[in-house]
Amino acid sequence: MDWKKFFISFVAAFGFIFVFGFLWYGKFMHGVHQEVPALWRPEADFGSHFSWLVFGHIVMAFFLTLLCAKFVPAGGAGACAKLGLLVALIYVGADLITFAVQPLTTKILCGWIVGHLVQFTIAGAVIGAILKSSSPATS
Amino acid sequence: MKRFVIAFIAAYVFMFFWGWLLNGVFLKDVYAETPNLWRSQSEMMSLFHWIIIGQALLIFAFVMIYASGFAGGGVMAGIRLGILLEIAAIGMRMAIYAVQPFPGKLLVYGSISGLIEMIVVGAIVGAIYRPAAAKAVS
Repeated sequence: MDWKKFFISFVAAFGFIFVFGFLWYGKFMHGVHQEVPALWRPEADFGSHFSWLVFGHIVMAFFLTLLCAKFVPAGGAGACAKLGLLVALIYVGADLITFAVQPLTTKILCGWIVGHLVQFTIAGAVIGAILKSSSPATS
Repeated sequence: MKRFVIAFIAAYVFMFFWGWLLNGVFLKDVYAETPNLWRSQSEMMSLFHWIIIGQALLIFAFVMIYASGFAGGGVMAGIRLGILLEIAAIGMRMAIYAVQPFPGKLLVYGSISGLIEMIVVGAIVGAIYRPAAAKAVS
């Protein structure tokens, strides 16, 4: 494995996942989330838990990169996007379960599903594109 | 294809009962500490089909990933995949913990039980799904 390319793809994946998450869930879906304010931490409380948000995204990006590097050692945006999509389906399954047990609105559920599918498919493509640029014989 | 379906069903049955045992029995009191975060019992029952569909989708994606990249690796390969996917899911759980006011012990219990769950799911899928030739995702 080319660890330099692995690290670069991990950083790129983290950057994309985090920025996309901020824009999609934090900005675009802000109003929809506010329909059920009891579900979310108050602003100050969220601020004191922000490190969990960052660390959680680091973990997600690292293990998505690891999966891509292990599954698709030759890299490639298409193949890793497909893997990212399959990983996204796992999160979508979890979203559906969450919808059944937490008082989320249907709009929130739909937003999360679309967000996860886009977020992890593109993140996979980004990782694959960077890994492919390293060497076709990486393993 | 036959083994894919059998692996899917076996892993699904385990996940369903594990989920019920864990969330419906063991962690019941922990969930009760934050009642405003959860639907009422009757409301959950009316949406129960979403739990079934969600678990089925999750297992389907797991078996698909296994069949695409780890096929032929047996039980250990399934367990490895389960651990990788669950640690990524723990990352998601941490991010949710940052925005939802559920107790920290729920994050810990959920992550430990999720790890056990995915290890067993991986072992089941790895033991059952053994195609003639393994192939990488492409």
